[in-house]
Amino acid sequence: MSLSRRTFLIGAGSVLALAGCGSSDDKASGGGGKVELVYRLWDEQQEVGYKAVFAEFTKQNPDITVRMEVLPWDQYWTKLTTELASGKAPDVFWLTVDYFPDFASKGVLAPLDDLISKAGLKLDSYHPNVVQSYKFEDKQLGMPKDMGIVGLLYNKDLVAKAGITMPAELTWAPDGSGSFLEVARKLTVGSKQWGFCSWNHSQTQWLNWIASNGGRAMDKPYGAFEFANQKSVEALQFARDLVFKWKVSPDGTRTNPPTGQATEMFYRGEVAMFPANNALLPFALPEVKFPIGVAAMPAGPSGRTVVINGLSEAMFAKTKHPDEAGKLVAFLGSEKAQKLMGDAGYIIPALNNAGAGYQAFWKQKGIDVQPFIDSAAGSTVNLPIAEGWTAKSPEINKTVNDLYLDKVPVADIAASMDKIGNDK
Amino acid sequence: MLRPAPRRTRQVGKAQQTAVAYALLAPSLVGVLGFLLAPVVIVLVLSLFDWKLLSTPEFVGLANYSRLFADEDVWHSLLVTLYYVVICVPGTTILSLLLALLVDRKLRGMKYFRALLVIPWMATPVALGLVWSWIFDPGRGALNQFLGVFGIDGPAWLSSPVLAMPSVAAVHIWQFAGYNMLFFLAGLQNIPRSLREASSLDGASPVAHFFTITLPLLRPTMLFVLITNVIGSFQAFDTIFVMTEGGPGDSTEVATYLIYDEAFRKFDFGYASTISVLLFAVVLFATITQFVYFERRTTYEVSG
Repeated sequence: MSLSRRTFLIGAGSVLALAGCGSSDDKASGGGGKVELVYRLWDEQQEVGYKAVFAEFTKQNPDITVRMEVLPWDQYWTKLTTELASGKAPDVFWLTVDYFPDFASKGVLAPLDDLISKAGLKLDSYHPNVVQSYKFEDKQLGMPKDMGIVGLLYNKDLVAKAGITMPAELTWAPDGSGSFLEVARKLTVGSKQWGFCSWNHSQTQWLNWIASNGGRAMDKPYGAFEFANQKSVEALQFARDLVFKWKVSPDGTRTNPPTGQATEMFYRGEVAMFPANNALLPFALPEVKFPIGVAAMPAGPSGRTVVINGLSEAMFAKTKHPDEAGKLVAFLGSEKAQKLMGDAGYIIPALNNAGAGYQAFWKQKGIDVQPFIDSAAGSTVNLPIAEGWTAKSPEINKTVNDLYLDKVPVADIAASMDKIGNDK
Repeated sequence: MLRPAPRRTRQVGKAQQTAVAYALLAPSLVGVLGFLLAPVVIVLVLSLFDWKLLSTPEFVGLANYSRLFADEDVWHSLLVTLYYVVICVPGTTILSLLLALLVDRKLRGMKYFRALLVIPWMATPVALGLVWSWIFDPGRGALNQFLGVFGIDGPAWLSSPVLAMPSVAAVHIWQFAGYNMLFFLAGLQNIPRSLREASSLDGASPVAHFFTITLPLLRPTMLFVLITNVIGSFQAFDTIFVMTEGGPGDSTEVATYLIYDEAFRKFDFGYASTISVLLFAVVLFATITQFVYFERRTTYEVSG
């Protein structure tokens, strides 16, 4: 009870602050009227893209400038969480589905519903999964930014060398039937080249197998985990079989995080097919010496369902400049800003029908990203969210390392995953 | 008139001396209290709370401690830490002693060699960790390239659960051997040269001289080096953090890494504090044991 009251108070506070600022604009800005907002992100590729976005924003709002702070992934969360706890955080920052539940319930994120409607934006014009992921107790606490969609990248050189053409539709099934495994086998050569890389990465790997096998990670957001259900266990078993039974993938000793090098193996041309979030493209392109092809993820017994991991722009509830930060968040959700980022090839905008520029950009680079767009329009599933997820997620991921080592039975691993996830 | 009563002078002088002493001690006292003692007390208090950083701290008594004793990860991390200490302490000590013996002679340019050996210790551990990760890289790393020259297909050093620990420990040894060498060097130079002459007159071989004369006289240095090394190895974090993040699996997850993981990945500050208290107790126990052991066997005076 006290939690929702606190959230409410902070919410009410920022609404009041917004209202207050509107009438006393000149009074509040005694020092020249210029405001500098701090914007935090972790992606140094997108940092370049945001320069154009913020230049446009400052053109529209001459009194507001934006300073970007780029932090490496690990430090990003450590620093952000510490700062949120101490009450001095960046005004606007990136947020993932993983970290959302823990932040949302602590009242550190400003509700955005009012500023969204005030700016004339409509939440139903963004991808519903991304909108849904950042909703907490009927309040929108994150502005949909992009959609990270999982697709299958492949090394065109290796495919050509194997003398095959990538089928338009890849399929898989727990028993090993389907075109996907067939292709993976043809692309596996000796002990130095693998057709596929089955490794411990929830978003791009086992969560997709589970979903396309008709299973699910959990029954509903903040609900109970179902990794030990038959469909999920079959899917997890398939992930292991790719390594140890069908032998088309390197094993966990080489790929398990944190020391594994799965992505690097794809870059080096040792792995032919590699599932990835489309956000990897700007990073992958300069690393590889081969043309990259994109296919949709293999469809399973219940069709194709891929994980969508859209990011959002979040606003600090106790920002010193709620009015200006609100303007920035609204701008970042606008078609103008989303298209600036999409057209430069950084992201597929979360805004519906704004992805044409993204496609055009990558077409120029010789990569057809249509499968990503199609997959986003098809059946998608959100990353799991649960209370205490920031602590549970690394714990579950650590447990899944065993899946790629062939020691612990899959059913036991799935049971441990549920136990961690459902622990109160 | 010319001289005041001697008694009074002494008293005033004493009070003044005390005041001066405290004034001079004040800066370091602030450091010790503020940065050493206060954190220890704070961690002790925090270990009694359930505090997830963004949540309001809640007093839970000894709940964190009962969780601690049932937590396999904690005991595993203590074993891993012990393994690390068991490799690092003898490795660093022996290597630094050998280095000290090597550079304890008057040759031209020797001081540059000594300085060179200390450089790894002066470098930033995180930078060192990064450089060593590149050296250990299975595909393009310097080490495997070098082994490749001899036709050896080098292993994936840091992603093998068996090799990861020795690899990170080797970096620790490399990093601290030069620094510890300085202490042994100082110790060696305190040993009178006449003893060397005397023992060689008696026909003692250099090896016999080392084991029967040099080594016993180095005991105070040895005590210092061992204790600081044991403490240092128990607290090792930065190179492991950069090189393996506790992996693969949990094969290099030393206690300090577990504390970091609980505090800054899972944001469970209460429980992280509890593990810190445990580590503190373990290190304290190890240090006291060493002290007691050496107290009985160490002579600090050469003369007599």
